[in-house]
Amino acid sequence: MTVFLAMLLDAYRELNSRKLFWVTLGLSAMVVVSYGSIGFNEQGMSVLFGLRQVDSEFVNSTTPWARALYIGIFSDFIVAVWLSWIAIILALISTCTMFPDFLAGGAIDLVLSKPIGRVMIFSIKFVMSLLFVVLQLTLFCVGIFLCVGLRIGEWNWMIFSAVPVVTVFYSYLYAVCVLTGVVTRSAITALLMTLLFWFSLWGMQTAEGMLYQFRTRFEIQAEKSQVRIERMAQRLDTFNLGPDDAAGLIVRADLQYRLEQEQAERDTSLDAAASLQTWHGPTEFMMAVLPKTQLTVGLLSRWLKDPDGFSIAAMMRGEMTGTGTSALMRDPVDVEMTRRLEKELDSYSPWYIVGTSLGFEALVLAAACVIFVRRDF
Amino acid sequence: MASTNGTSVIDLHHVEKTYKGKIHALRDVRMQVHAGEIFGLLGPNGAGKSTLVKIMMTVVRPDRAEGTLLGHPIGHKPTLRRVGYLPEHHRFPRYLTGRQTLEFYAALARVDKPSRRRRAAELLNTIGMTGWADKKIATYSKGMMQRVGLAQALMNDPELVILDEPTDGVDPVGRRDIRDVLLALRDQGKTIFINSHLLSELEMVCDRVAILVQGRVVRQGRIDDLTADSRRYEIVIDSAAPPWAARQSDLRVEAGADGRSTLICKGVEASSIQPILDRLRADKLTIVSVQPVRETLEDLFMRSVTDPKTGRTLAPGAAVESADAVQEPTT
Repeated sequence: MTVFLAMLLDAYRELNSRKLFWVTLGLSAMVVVSYGSIGFNEQGMSVLFGLRQVDSEFVNSTTPWARALYIGIFSDFIVAVWLSWIAIILALISTCTMFPDFLAGGAIDLVLSKPIGRVMIFSIKFVMSLLFVVLQLTLFCVGIFLCVGLRIGEWNWMIFSAVPVVTVFYSYLYAVCVLTGVVTRSAITALLMTLLFWFSLWGMQTAEGMLYQFRTRFEIQAEKSQVRIERMAQRLDTFNLGPDDAAGLIVRADLQYRLEQEQAERDTSLDAAASLQTWHGPTEFMMAVLPKTQLTVGLLSRWLKDPDGFSIAAMMRGEMTGTGTSALMRDPVDVEMTRRLEKELDSYSPWYIVGTSLGFEALVLAAACVIFVRRDF
Repeated sequence: MASTNGTSVIDLHHVEKTYKGKIHALRDVRMQVHAGEIFGLLGPNGAGKSTLVKIMMTVVRPDRAEGTLLGHPIGHKPTLRRVGYLPEHHRFPRYLTGRQTLEFYAALARVDKPSRRRRAAELLNTIGMTGWADKKIATYSKGMMQRVGLAQALMNDPELVILDEPTDGVDPVGRRDIRDVLLALRDQGKTIFINSHLLSELEMVCDRVAILVQGRVVRQGRIDDLTADSRRYEIVIDSAAPPWAARQSDLRVEAGADGRSTLICKGVEASSIQPILDRLRADKLTIVSVQPVRETLEDLFMRSVTDPKTGRTLAPGAAVESADAVQEPTT
């Protein structure tokens, strides 16, 4: 415990000495203040502490959409953009030097010569390196928590779930940074490799998502075609053609033609779906073993979701139900595809998302730890 | 707590280390350091001194290392609670103050908090850094860093202190202060192992030394014992040496360019040269000087790093497979 506390205090002092820590904290404060400047009244919403008023019959203090919008701004925009990208990049820049500095000649000797096992040194150092993110997130979430409480009167403790979620997300990336740092002892190489790994992950997840989206779309189109085909086939079967019914012949021929067209469309959609499946399968498998950064952050949206379905996503789909207005008309294939995608995402349990990602992280860290333990300094 | 092996605080056998590229940093090193002594490890650059120290401190993993450190096998981590270590070119975190540095590394050595506070204050006073105790390491000079480094090595009140180039970058006043600290530690019964290039410094404080050349211990023992063979008297006369001198087996004659001659008489006893002096006086030769001469540590070191076959200094660096020109150990 003495060692742990000493390294904890040292990690805090190290962070405290880094300008980027304070720069990030300052930027976080600006984001919180901007968020807190949004308010709701009976006419609509105000921004910049009432400097500008946006009247809305849907989003005002009397409708549940105000809550959906305010929480959604946090979970879908602030977390997704600020915490998941900008703050993480700043954190990586700030902490990528920690392991290379720690392993530098003359510094590591002092630590390794103490009565502490190398595995413990490595483990504590890794955990302490996450302190940057934990501190930043905690302070950030306190600010957001106060904003939500004061603005919409909801003291939502689930906001603090961003601390473990984003820390875990960051740790997937930092594990790669540590491995590269231990191997090369170069901070810049560690940072570049981590960013490369992150963008590769992002690319793969995006590719997997797109492939799945297109495949689903083709499947839905095929299903809809099939429904139409069955309907037309039924009509054909029950089509009573009278003697010398020239008009009936034309209608039947047209129906037959449209049936064939629909069958061709269905077959095309099925072929396309099958073709996409051959690409989607391997990417899906890869994503099963790689860290799921987007899904991990997506857990926040899931946990902060309104139980009655009011959400920014619903707003963007034009489904402002509950306000007395009808949903905007959209392509039914799009609506169905969105529903299936959301259902698919919700089907992944948090344990699967975090567990498999942490499994990958554990492998990376184990490799880094083995190298650290076996290396001569 | 296990007892030490007799009086040996460090008792090494068959210590071997080969780095990548077949660089033999250490080859069958055997070394004993006794309790309560100051032991110096000498050697040219790349001889393997720091590697040996790092093996003892578990910073480097040996290919083979038998023997004990404070009675426990080499690599036994808990034993390091009783060892203080100052590495060469150490780097303290620049964001810590001197006091925080001492307390941090003491905590890693599992020293309890009250003891850390007390020891830090005491040691900062001992090394003359009390006035700088609460200033950032980043503002320290090299000499100040060495002083803090020494204090850091003593924070856990160790039985064995291992110092790798402790006076590196330290001014003469600082060197004397460090020397005084080391002597005071020896008086307290601590064992001190110093790895240094500064032969004159070592000669002043070390009880015993070992000389490491190309990964092998070529000399080990008390400085007096190691230089005993070289003890002699040199008698300078103001003319050519008499013929009888050249015939005496215990005398060697060296003719000087200025017409003077030097008679070199092996031995450490003054009585052994009296008959020679009597005979020189009987021959009415003028005796210019008579002085006892002893090899310095530097002479011993240079002799150790010189190839006896070629008379040339051995190449610096670790041994390679073909380098067998190292002398056999003398203990």
